[in-house]
Amino acid sequence: MSVIEISNLTKIYGKARGINNISFTVEEGEIFGFIGPNGAGKSTTIRTLLGLIYPTGGSAKIFGKDCIKDGPKIKKEIGYLPSEVFYYDNMKVLDLLKYSASFYKKDCSKRIRELADIMDLDLSKKIDDLSLGNRKKVGIIQGLLHEPKLIILDEPTSGLDPLMQQKFFDLLKEENKKGATILFSSHILTEVQRLCDRVAIIKEGEIVTLEKISTLKESTYKKFKIETAAPIDKEYFQIEGVNDLEEDGVTASFLFKGNVNSMMKKIAGIDIVNIWVEEPDLEEIFMHYYEKED
Amino acid sequence: MNLFFRELKANSKSLILWCIGILLMVASGMSKFGGVSSSGQSMNELMKAMPKALQAIMGTGSLDISTAGGYYGILFLYLMVMGAIHASMLGSTIVSKEERDKTVEFLLVKPISRNKVITWKLIAALVNVLIFNIVTFISSATVVEYYNDGISLHGDIALLLAGMFILQLIFLFLGTAIASATMNPKAAGSVSTAILMGTFLLSIIIDISSSIDFLKYLTPFKYFEAKQVMFGEGLDVVFLILSASFIFIFLFVTYKLYKVKDMAV
Repeated sequence: MSVIEISNLTKIYGKARGINNISFTVEEGEIFGFIGPNGAGKSTTIRTLLGLIYPTGGSAKIFGKDCIKDGPKIKKEIGYLPSEVFYYDNMKVLDLLKYSASFYKKDCSKRIRELADIMDLDLSKKIDDLSLGNRKKVGIIQGLLHEPKLIILDEPTSGLDPLMQQKFFDLLKEENKKGATILFSSHILTEVQRLCDRVAIIKEGEIVTLEKISTLKESTYKKFKIETAAPIDKEYFQIEGVNDLEEDGVTASFLFKGNVNSMMKKIAGIDIVNIWVEEPDLEEIFMHYYEKED
Repeated sequence: MNLFFRELKANSKSLILWCIGILLMVASGMSKFGGVSSSGQSMNELMKAMPKALQAIMGTGSLDISTAGGYYGILFLYLMVMGAIHASMLGSTIVSKEERDKTVEFLLVKPISRNKVITWKLIAALVNVLIFNIVTFISSATVVEYYNDGISLHGDIALLLAGMFILQLIFLFLGTAIASATMNPKAAGSVSTAILMGTFLLSIIIDISSSIDFLKYLTPFKYFEAKQVMFGEGLDVVFLILSASFIFIFLFVTYKLYKVKDMAV
């Protein structure tokens, strides 16, 4: 079953920003990554899903219900962590969390304590006095305390130290195991790579590609680096399937997509000193998607 | 309900400060009457001798300031202004602050419809405005009675405060309507205050120049004046109908526009 179905969603603000004709679905139980640089439309998409802003075209469904019309109903089962956490002044952490819990008709006090223990957060402090990272923790607990079926996270890791980030990811994996679907937006690829099953890459308001993380990495891209005895002819590796070619005298590096045999034959034709063949990381693939479009 | 209590708590400090302001205003204002009344009719004559413009600005007009009731009538103008400022600021911020403080990303992703958000906020604001009004009534009635040596003025003051309550409602809902309509949450407060000051100035200009008397329908400050309510025929039906229409329109705009608004985040 699809938890989120977005079809031809469009939001135009004035002239510049916004999203254009976005469509994708997030299946139940999946951790879905949503990546793109700042200003690509990630937050706009999420805010439209949550009914904070209204689409100019298209529609979106969550749990099979229209995200605008049935908004209040479906939000019972959604936990949301905004990219920047802002809360009411002069409230203590516990008061804020209790206030948040009071909107859901269930007792969340036990869960609040559990989460605060895991995230190592002092509940008696005033929110005003917290550091950025600790505010983020409040946001995380606030988003998870009612054990939602759908967790939407907008750039959730900014401000968290690596240790906390790990705890947070473990927490998300646990929720995911219990059946929660997660939509995770980020501009940091390694974290998406660590956590997500599938990923949509968004650029300038449009979806560039949508693939499984594994396919994306496997998509027969190989990263080659070659060192030769004699300087290489500049044209030598300019063949079909080679991207991002960089040559510097006796070394050459590039991404290759295609039949590896043809490349091996090509390499066999020159006198090499050393060779590295690696899986490119997501970042390099990602950059490649971006450059291709330009 | 949780939202309602949250709003009461969030506004409690400011309400207490306003109430202290009202108490001081009534007490110090009426204490001056002690001095004026001892000079008897001469004060009235002095006032009459002043140019009409000055009389209008001081709000004396046709009031007999040698009586406690008449003197309170002048003071009441300023109480009305305070009530209106409190109500319009409360109305505009109670709606716009969620956007201004970016807590809208917290509140509106909860399982609560925008209509309910507005409803609970409006109820909380109404309670605030009502408390403001009751404090004004109790302090006015007590202090005026202390200086009054004629028949009791409680009934008259109650009627004045009923008028002030309607004025407060007009400005409260004007504030919420502007906050719903504007895309810039920081501007909501200043726009409603500007309208308030504009209508107040208009009411003074009308007092100075009687030739533009017909403009009185445009400014709520002319609807419930002390000289009319206390010493005239009480609350005017035309003004009551006008007030009701304004309140209805502002409420309608508040709900309608908040529902379709793209939240600024």
